[in-house]
Amino acid sequence: MTLGLSISNVTKTWNPDGSSPTPAVRNLTLDVNLGEFVVLLGPSGCGKSSLLYMVAGLEEATSGSITFDGLEITQPSPERSLIFQEAALFPWLSVRDNVGFGLQIKGITQTKRRQKVDDLLKLVGLAGAGDKRPHELSGGMRQRAALARALAMDPKVLLMDEPFAALDIQTRARMQDHLLRIWRETGASVLLVTHSIDEALALADRIIVFTSRPGQIKAEIKIDQPRPRDLHSPEMVDLARRCDALLAEEVNKAFAEQELL
Amino acid sequence: MTDQSLRANNPSTIATGLNLKEHAQTVRRKLVPLAWTCASLGLFVAIWEFSWWQGWANPLLLPPPHIFLSNLPEQFRFFDPTGGRAGALSEGGSIWSVLGVIGWSALRVTLGLSLGFVMSLIVGVAIRYFNIFGKLVLPLVTMMAPISPVAWIPVAVFMFGIGNPPAVFLVFIAIFFVMVLATLSQIDAVPPHFIQLARIMGASKRQIYMQVILPAILPGLFVTLRMNLFAAWMVVLIAEAVGVGSGLGQVTMMARNTFNSSLVFFTMTLIGITGFAFDQALGLIQRKILWWIGPSSIGRI
Ligand SMILES: Nc1ncnc2c1ncn2[C@@H]1O[C@H](COP(=O)(O)OP(=O)(O)OP(=O)(O)O)[C@@H](O)[C@H]1O
Ligand SMILES: [Mg+2]
Repeated sequence: MTLGLSISNVTKTWNPDGSSPTPAVRNLTLDVNLGEFVVLLGPSGCGKSSLLYMVAGLEEATSGSITFDGLEITQPSPERSLIFQEAALFPWLSVRDNVGFGLQIKGITQTKRRQKVDDLLKLVGLAGAGDKRPHELSGGMRQRAALARALAMDPKVLLMDEPFAALDIQTRARMQDHLLRIWRETGASVLLVTHSIDEALALADRIIVFTSRPGQIKAEIKIDQPRPRDLHSPEMVDLARRCDALLAEEVNKAFAEQELL
Repeated sequence: MTDQSLRANNPSTIATGLNLKEHAQTVRRKLVPLAWTCASLGLFVAIWEFSWWQGWANPLLLPPPHIFLSNLPEQFRFFDPTGGRAGALSEGGSIWSVLGVIGWSALRVTLGLSLGFVMSLIVGVAIRYFNIFGKLVLPLVTMMAPISPVAWIPVAVFMFGIGNPPAVFLVFIAIFFVMVLATLSQIDAVPPHFIQLARIMGASKRQIYMQVILPAILPGLFVTLRMNLFAAWMVVLIAEAVGVGSGLGQVTMMARNTFNSSLVFFTMTLIGITGFAFDQALGLIQRKILWWIGPSSIGRI
């Protein structure tokens, strides 16, 4: 039995029996070890989100298997939490109730939730914002609240779908620091999708570069540099160039294909 | 929110000046729309009075406001305080009897609206929650929705006879089918991320409906309810005119039958004011209770 996440030979086709079946992922095999930080990098529409949805258990793979700690994934579970590009906080709940939502679903009483939720709010730097409503928060604060909501369930894997894509560059950098600290403190594995090469380089133990649709693994880049990383160091600049070249190839291919349509 | 915090961060702003300025702004925000409302009404009245003055409008058929509003006690006599048959000239006569008649109409509308809102919410949610129930009921609802409430009047009378129940029933019918369909489209428009998140957090189907879908659809449904408010008023007036035998609709009908044009216009004025008040009241409930649409998207409806 393998610990951690194991994706083996997975194919996902949307509308397989419909008029226009769309292959999103093809024959993909990928392992994410316990506590590992893996970043998925690929052109738009190559099936990265589809893959995360399958790992989350929200969608079924058309073929192949995904296991977590040796068990087949058949349904969603709080131990594999998903974070979207928009925070998707419930507007009718306060920030505190949003963060405590999963605990409340589990049947944990208000008083017992309170301590844990307040600790989490502190962890993500939102200690004073518990009583606020989501629409009163900035985009970065909302995304941190969403992170706290996921962490409340003590997830073993954090699945993040372009979590910082809607934020400005400065906020983004701060959020990456937050995420790295939380990742270290919780020991959870992270599988993060991004379009930003810099983000991938700053965060990843391992970068997986996807081909254009249907997504397959084009290249795998291991980064051993300690964090925080200086993206201007010669090694990192070199890596950035490599990623850029790999991505450019695929983006060109994707565009050429779209023009044929 | 943002400019408030901006100002709070500005140490050079003097607190009292800030408060005064803010106060003035609030007053302005409230007064300006009011002024426009008055101007709009004033223009209408002015044109009417002018045409009377010029002799274009026959004062017997189109009496201007200063005529039909001049002899209020005379008009009040046609309003029966018990809400029973209007036109009982000996009974009525005070402002209270007018309010009584308005109250009866308003009560019918409120009852019909509340019943319709709750029932359509229950049926709409049940259609999505219980698969087979939905398949059986939805075609029926879709076919009944386009039938005008007026066509239901005989049915209402067959089923409930004369009095309050048929009027309430007609208001109910006027909004029920439309609101069921609105409930369905609201449910289908709930952001998928909300439901996916709840599933990941381990919520059961029941929990998802109660704790995610319900709060997510309520504000939108309330907006729909408010848009159907005027339809409900029209229906109750028709019902009262045709069969109930009391209320504002009945007074209008009686005024028509006795060729009392002053009373027609006086009653129309009352209907307009009451409808306006209702709309404002619903708007207030919407802002106070269903605040999570967010202040920006509510706007100043
Ligand atoms: N629910 C769905 N139903 C049908 N087709 C879908 C669905 N979700 C995604 N697809 C299709 O699958 C393909 C891959 O989509 P996916 O969202 O996984 O890409 P992505 O790599 O996340 O793209 P992006 O970087 O733009 O987010 C696309 O062609 C898309 O149209
Ligand atoms: Mg995506």
